[in-house]
Amino acid sequence: MRAALVVLGVVLGGYGAVLLWENPPVILMRIVVWALVGVALHDLVFAPACVALGFAARRLIPGTWWPPIAVAALCSIVLVFLAIPVYGKPGMRPDNMTVLDRDYPLGLWISLAAVWACVPLYYVAAARFRRRSR
Amino acid sequence: MKTETLRGTAVTARVGLALGVTVAVCFVTGLISHFIQHPQPWFFWPTRPVWLYRVTQGAHVVSGIAAIPLIIVKLWSVWPKLFERPIFGGLVRQIERLSILVLVGSMLFQLSTGLMNIAQWYAFKFFFTTSHYAMAYVAAGAVVVHIGVKLPVIRRALGEPVDDETDFVGPTRRTVLRGTWLAVALATVVTAGQTVPLLRKVSVLAPRSGQGPQGVPINRSAIAAGVLRSARSPDYRLTVTNGSTTRAFSLADLQAMSQATHRLPIACVEGWSVDAEWTGVVLADLVAAVGGSRDSDVRMISLEPPGPYSRTVLPARHARDAKTLIALKLNGQTLDLDHGYPCRLIAPTRPGVLQTKWLTRIEVVAS
Repeated sequence: MRAALVVLGVVLGGYGAVLLWENPPVILMRIVVWALVGVALHDLVFAPACVALGFAARRLIPGTWWPPIAVAALCSIVLVFLAIPVYGKPGMRPDNMTVLDRDYPLGLWISLAAVWACVPLYYVAAARFRRRSR
Repeated sequence: MKTETLRGTAVTARVGLALGVTVAVCFVTGLISHFIQHPQPWFFWPTRPVWLYRVTQGAHVVSGIAAIPLIIVKLWSVWPKLFERPIFGGLVRQIERLSILVLVGSMLFQLSTGLMNIAQWYAFKFFFTTSHYAMAYVAAGAVVVHIGVKLPVIRRALGEPVDDETDFVGPTRRTVLRGTWLAVALATVVTAGQTVPLLRKVSVLAPRSGQGPQGVPINRSAIAAGVLRSARSPDYRLTVTNGSTTRAFSLADLQAMSQATHRLPIACVEGWSVDAEWTGVVLADLVAAVGGSRDSDVRMISLEPPGPYSRTVLPARHARDAKTLIALKLNGQTLDLDHGYPCRLIAPTRPGVLQTKWLTRIEVVAS
């Protein structure tokens, strides 16, 4: 089973590599660099920044507040990632007003506000629940 | 609880399982879309239900977006392993590290280029479709290898309880998991409205609001296609050919033919879709008018100067379908210039990019 999975995976990946190889060297290089820069940005910038933020937050915020704040932080990160390609509408073309036709800054701020509004609500609800179950 | 204990394989395996499901959905639906656009003799694509492509391609983009929070948490849960000693180790360890590099690199490549493509932001200087297609095999292969290598660890982790301690103040692994599912739900809600009408109002980060001329968004405008003059020319004729048989139809000729109205979705490869009411001539009637066979594929040629999508081939199954129209009207109004005036193809279960606009010529392909 395990060996079969590994072989199947190598064959699939190998076929992908063959397809990529059909690109001219310059293009292939750009593709590989894009993938590696993604890994480097995550491992050396994004992840350490999250660790630093979490480290600082745990010293500043009392333990009972951590769960809702950690979840809200994760949701905020996801919202920001999803907003990156639409926020400043970098892909907009003047001949087509049906793409990127929302107010994305407003949308992002409203959704972030909604997420963080849930934090105190959760805290109050959780505190009541704890008191009742005691 | 410290984050070291929050991490743990119990979280990694469960989030990884969900991530695996989204990758599988992306891979299968992506292949479907690829083979519709690059037909193979063995590939069968039905004409019913008419919303089939709308669902598969919608699922492609929705599950790709759902994978973003999942991969963030998945990578967070294993990040300290990056610094485990020995950093280099023996050959086996180096191969393992290399396979993880390929896995993470190809996954981040697919998610980042896919997300940018639906917003039509082409900051990368390589061709999206071919590289996204090729890298899909690399990512899928790397995921399968990874599952093969980690199978015993995954089995053990899924069999164990999520948390080892109870009655505890602060976040637990269960908090991490619940938060992850919540983030997935949130990511879906704020984007899926471009294909799920119910979510349209709340999808504040969707690249499409679903609005457009006559209630339908567009991808290629008449200006971009360079058809402003030719599409409005009084000399316009739609030429239909079958071998040496040729007939030319003016717009009035087409309007005089028997008209049919059908509700069909237009579904883009970029994941947005809307339902609309199309009125026009049934394509099979035009094919019959030149004595074409019901078993022939039909080539659609646009007024747009030659380019990747200015001519497309419609398979016989779709060409003879009673719901496949050469549309003259959209939602009760004369087709907008941006929707393909004077006439366009609209067929069930086909990607929008193959619903050729500004038709000038229809050729029955010798079968």
